[in-house]
Amino acid sequence: MSSRGILANVVGPVAALAIIVGIAALLGSYAQYVLALVIVHCLIGAALVMIVGYARVIMLAAGAMLAIGAYGSTISITRAGLPYPLALACAALLGAGAGVLLAVPASRFRGHHLAMATMVFQILVVIGIREWTDVTGGALGLRTPAPSFGSLTITADLSNLALIAGAAVPALLFLAVLLAGSFGKMLRAASASEIACEAFGVDTSRMRVAAFAFSSAVVAYAGAVLAPRVRILDPDSFDITRSVIMLGYPIVGGMSSLWGGLIGGALLQLAPELLRPVGRYQEIILAVFVIAVMLALPGGLMGLVGSFAPPPRRRPGASDARMRLPTSTRPARRTAAGTALALSEVQKSYDAVRAVDGVTLQIESGVMHGLIGPNGAGKTTLFNVVSGFVPPDGGTVKLFGKNIESQPARTRIAHGMTRTFQNVAIFPELSCVDNVLIGLGENSVWQTSRASFAEIFGSLRTRERIHAAEAALGAVGLDAHALAAAGSLSLGNQRRLELARAIVSEPRLILLDEPVAGVSHEEEKELSELLRLLNRERGMTMLIIEHNIAFVRALCDTVSVMAAGRLIAQGKFEAVIGLPVVRHHYFGDPNAARA
Amino acid sequence: MRDLSQLPLLLLGGLRIGAIYALSAIGLVVIHKATRTVNFAHGGFIMLGCYGAYVGVERLHIPYWTVYLVVPLAVGAFAAALEFSLLRRLRSADAFSSVITTVFISILLTELARLVFESDVLNVPTFIALPPILLRPIVLTWETVWIIVGALACGMLGAYVFARAGVGRAMRAMAASVRGAQLCGYSVDAVNAQAWLLGGALAGLAGVFVAPRFGVSPDIAFATIIPAFVAAILGGFDSLKGAILGGLLLGIVETLTAAYLSGALKNALAMLILLLVLLFKPEGLFPERRIRHV
Repeated sequence: MSSRGILANVVGPVAALAIIVGIAALLGSYAQYVLALVIVHCLIGAALVMIVGYARVIMLAAGAMLAIGAYGSTISITRAGLPYPLALACAALLGAGAGVLLAVPASRFRGHHLAMATMVFQILVVIGIREWTDVTGGALGLRTPAPSFGSLTITADLSNLALIAGAAVPALLFLAVLLAGSFGKMLRAASASEIACEAFGVDTSRMRVAAFAFSSAVVAYAGAVLAPRVRILDPDSFDITRSVIMLGYPIVGGMSSLWGGLIGGALLQLAPELLRPVGRYQEIILAVFVIAVMLALPGGLMGLVGSFAPPPRRRPGASDARMRLPTSTRPARRTAAGTALALSEVQKSYDAVRAVDGVTLQIESGVMHGLIGPNGAGKTTLFNVVSGFVPPDGGTVKLFGKNIESQPARTRIAHGMTRTFQNVAIFPELSCVDNVLIGLGENSVWQTSRASFAEIFGSLRTRERIHAAEAALGAVGLDAHALAAAGSLSLGNQRRLELARAIVSEPRLILLDEPVAGVSHEEEKELSELLRLLNRERGMTMLIIEHNIAFVRALCDTVSVMAAGRLIAQGKFEAVIGLPVVRHHYFGDPNAARA
Repeated sequence: MRDLSQLPLLLLGGLRIGAIYALSAIGLVVIHKATRTVNFAHGGFIMLGCYGAYVGVERLHIPYWTVYLVVPLAVGAFAAALEFSLLRRLRSADAFSSVITTVFISILLTELARLVFESDVLNVPTFIALPPILLRPIVLTWETVWIIVGALACGMLGAYVFARAGVGRAMRAMAASVRGAQLCGYSVDAVNAQAWLLGGALAGLAGVFVAPRFGVSPDIAFATIIPAFVAAILGGFDSLKGAILGGLLLGIVETLTAAYLSGALKNALAMLILLLVLLFKPEGLFPERRIRHV
């Protein structure tokens, strides 16, 4: 992360807290009480940015998580006699556990089903609190003790405010670092295109579980921090309406950075105070406000601020958009030898349709192999079997001698195989360089979390990775766009970006699904040149699906022809293309004899 | 614990509430099928139906049967207006935005109701005030008969409109492929408005049926949206028949649980069913057809 990024996303929020405390010190005790609540809700907003904004989950269980933290810490103090700081930690752990529990359904379904699952969780927790009267006090409520350290009990409003702000700092830093670093980028990537993520070794469900756990831990922690201030906990103050209003925090503030959650939380928590003269209309105004933001300001209030910021600068010196092979310091890694990919009797049916019907195919290392055939011949299904998105019904797939047909897509990158997609699958919100970084691997929850913290201290590893990504972008002629959002590129450039992502890890085998569809003639020649260079100098084996016959002819050493799920011909381009069976099936030549 | 002689009465009670759940769920499914939006404001629409019934019967003193006609039309028109004025603009955004918007519309409706009518539970008389039928050992009230028969008939009528009428064909075409339906000359705008009109009307109707039973209060919104979701999910969320069966099943199971086990469990039961079905049978217990995942 750049030093400006650290300043804006990590130091800034903490400075904002300090400013709030400073202002509060000058105000009366009621204002101090209100601002203490504001800080807690800023923290909640920040936590919700992770789950709502980055993981794109409609989280309707924030109230339940808050309750778990508040009740958990209070009970651990009053019943188990835990000291206050330990009770806070205990609440965070409980929240993380509840988050993991809630994430179990998240690995099974998405969108509105997941929203309903969180709503179910919310309602079950409130019912649980109401019914488990021995421990929670049920509907009568539970009295919370004032925070105390040994014999020192904190009662004054200003001391409470300082305590809350102090407690908020570590949680806020934790969120800020994760959101601004690799973890946050990976989370956004996972919610933008699960398929592309899986192809590059990201376990998207684990990513989502982690997001649930981290964000719930912080919300529960906020509940524990809040508990002493509300004096009596009662189940009604943690109900679904509360959850919905908290869902509004990241929406109103903006979902693309920590700041959105802070601003949304502060604003919606302050609103009842500001709207006191129209007390009866508070919730109505709030709901109208959120709906208005949804309609008019999709980026929230922070989006409004961001629209005045200057666009990312173009790199000086990066001018032409021509593709070229990077002048890598690394020598060509390997000489190609052996069989790269061996398919044997691969079968895949969809109901009665045999999409792939007993395909046996062997591709030697270092070869450029074209796969052609009419639409619906089963080429893409075959690609999906090889890249692990579709389990085959039968047959074996060997990649560099290892059987991989039963392994999921995300294992492929470790075997040295990457792919591009027929319909480009980039991560539109991320910059080009971040898109390519994901292609480098090391994408697990643990690795990205660790990297997020390492980036703050400017790790060498991170710098190396960025150099590799920039080199790959340079290779496809996108270095001028390195900092631009991938979604803002033209289709041709998005295809180049996919290619950069596919080659950056220096894979041994690349599957290219229609790499020049929708690309101009000029770009097609450049792309052809680049692929040839990658093949000759880096020894990358390539399997290419393409309808552009001239492109295939110029590029590929050998071709296979598929029709109706079967392999009907294989060999050198010139030899294969003249065969009557190919002429009949692919070019629809009526004079060609049926084989 | 009650003895088993109560069982027939309990079953009837279960069917009665189940029929209302079914009617609520059908509206939800109609809107989802045609527009791919899950309407979290559906409970709010049902609540509007309740207040409509209260205002019509208790304040304006119009004949009770006209309430059954006017209120659904009004709620349907309101739903279509919401689609037209708010949700239409979000169609190009992702489903995320429109779902969140319906969540806040629901809050808005509940709070408006709280503002206008206060939080008190208002009462609406039963539709048929005749002495109950005595079929030993069962005491069958006309209200029970009316709700079971009437709500189910209305639900089926709604399902029939969706399945058979020209409007329905357009909606189903849209559900299968928006682009394809457009190419065949259907207007997305018109179909979406019609789906919200039909779905809203069914919700309003459910509100009129539920008003004498539950009493009228802002809490109706969240009290009805959950069973409607559960019933719809039991049916696979896209099956009208499934929603009817799911509603009836939920009503019966809930009533029996409350009678033989505990009231608290009854509240949690719908949630647990929802969670279990989502986890283990996401296609529902009564799926319309096998869905091919590609």
